[in-house]
Amino acid sequence: MRLLLMVAGELINWHFQTQALTKHSQFFDTNYKPFSLYNIPSHSSCSLPLVVFYSFPVFNSSSQISFPLLFSQSSMASIAGSSTFMASLSCHKPNQALTRASNFNAVSLAINGKSFPSLKLHSAPSRLRVSCAAKPETVDKVCSIVRKQLALPEDSAVTGESKFSSLGADSLDTVEIVMGLEEEFGISVEEESAQTIATVQDAADLIEKLIEKK
Amino acid sequence: MLPYVCKLCLNLKIHCIDQRMFCTSSLLSPLQLPSRTETHLWYVLPNEVKSEPLIKKYVDLLSPIEKENVFSMRGDELQKLALLARALVRTTITRYQICSHVSPRSLEFRKNAHGKPEVCWQHSDDWHPPPLHFNLSHTSTLIACGITIDSPIGIDVEEKQRRMKNNILSFARRYFSREEVERLSAISDPEVQRQEVIKLWTLKEAYVKALGTGFSGAPFNTFTIRFGSANPNPDAKDSAVVIVPLENQTNLTTNWQFAQVELAGSHYAAICRENDGISEGAPMKLIVRKTVPLVEEHCVL
Repeated sequence: MRLLLMVAGELINWHFQTQALTKHSQFFDTNYKPFSLYNIPSHSSCSLPLVVFYSFPVFNSSSQISFPLLFSQSSMASIAGSSTFMASLSCHKPNQALTRASNFNAVSLAINGKSFPSLKLHSAPSRLRVSCAAKPETVDKVCSIVRKQLALPEDSAVTGESKFSSLGADSLDTVEIVMGLEEEFGISVEEESAQTIATVQDAADLIEKLIEKK
Repeated sequence: MLPYVCKLCLNLKIHCIDQRMFCTSSLLSPLQLPSRTETHLWYVLPNEVKSEPLIKKYVDLLSPIEKENVFSMRGDELQKLALLARALVRTTITRYQICSHVSPRSLEFRKNAHGKPEVCWQHSDDWHPPPLHFNLSHTSTLIACGITIDSPIGIDVEEKQRRMKNNILSFARRYFSREEVERLSAISDPEVQRQEVIKLWTLKEAYVKALGTGFSGAPFNTFTIRFGSANPNPDAKDSAVVIVPLENQTNLTTNWQFAQVELAGSHYAAICRENDGISEGAPMKLIVRKTVPLVEEHCVL
């Protein structure tokens, strides 16, 4: 499985991508144009081809695989109709997507709670990597809830990678944050899932997964 | 004696001191390990630890991984807390008359299957390590470590003045059992209600930490903590505290005893350890010591 994942992490050529997406997307027409699919205005700066990291169909939704940085389980299970996926690929905030993607040249995969060593992806400047993880808006909301709970100043750096423990959150802070997230997003977080959250990004991904399930 | 040690003399309650105080082997007379029926609680107030050389000594006690963790914390205050927590654990365990080859720096730790830290003793043919259990807890202004022999222990400390960001009863409803919410809702004074919620939180957290399965192994709303008397009074430590698991909870054991104390006038502390079978119904034999690791200690209580 690790080998499969490593291969999936490599750059996928357009042919495979087209095929894979065609199977699962309702939005394709026969003249597939990736830019029109993703509502990218022609004048945008995103003139680079979009590369989607797509996992092989062998991963069904029951395999409980979560990819904290690049994938989210919901986007794997159904790309079509997934507003998460569409929003994260839209060039509404192109710079944000670019910035986030270009920082990732190593992926750490967590499967069933166990982390695997980071995979090094080859950097390919000519292609833009786009993450399928939680929307930036979700991460921002989580950050602001965390800031409020921990009484951190507005300018303190809280990002997706911030670990709750490093920010000084104790157990009471953590459960209050979970409560705040439940109220904000209208979800219910089981204690088992709450235990797996270590970073802001983990929380955002879990939130989106739970929203998807609703 | 050197001048800097003289300055410390005024604060020290220990009579045997000389310049070797700051070396790795402390000259504080070794303590007896707690008996099977005793629980020791040690605490340090980070705000009282200001000496840079002392803080450097603490850094020297840590393992490379611990140092990495400490310095990954965001900001000086959090780093100092993390550092003091590790220093407290290491120095406290080695305060006891364990063995000549055990020093604060040589101690090794590991995590159990659920992530609870425990000592990883160096075994040898002619030495059997003591069945020592410990548990740490801290807030931004106090770090505490509980020690027992032959019994898992869990402790939790919270500031008395801690303000919840959420509404107190919403919080209780979300995390506590129905019986507990009923009891808390019946308290009319909001300040007393807030205090009781915090105290109940520390009790539940101490229990879950003693179990060693983590928060998800024993979600807080799957068991009730009930007080022996019909009206739980503020001196809860004098009334028996029992665990009442809700139906179908087979993983929650109930053979535990609790103690609640106030530390430094500013914190609620809850301690949970197994019932030793000897002191049935009697309050936990708890010895509390305030300490500055490597420097001083004195008994409180």
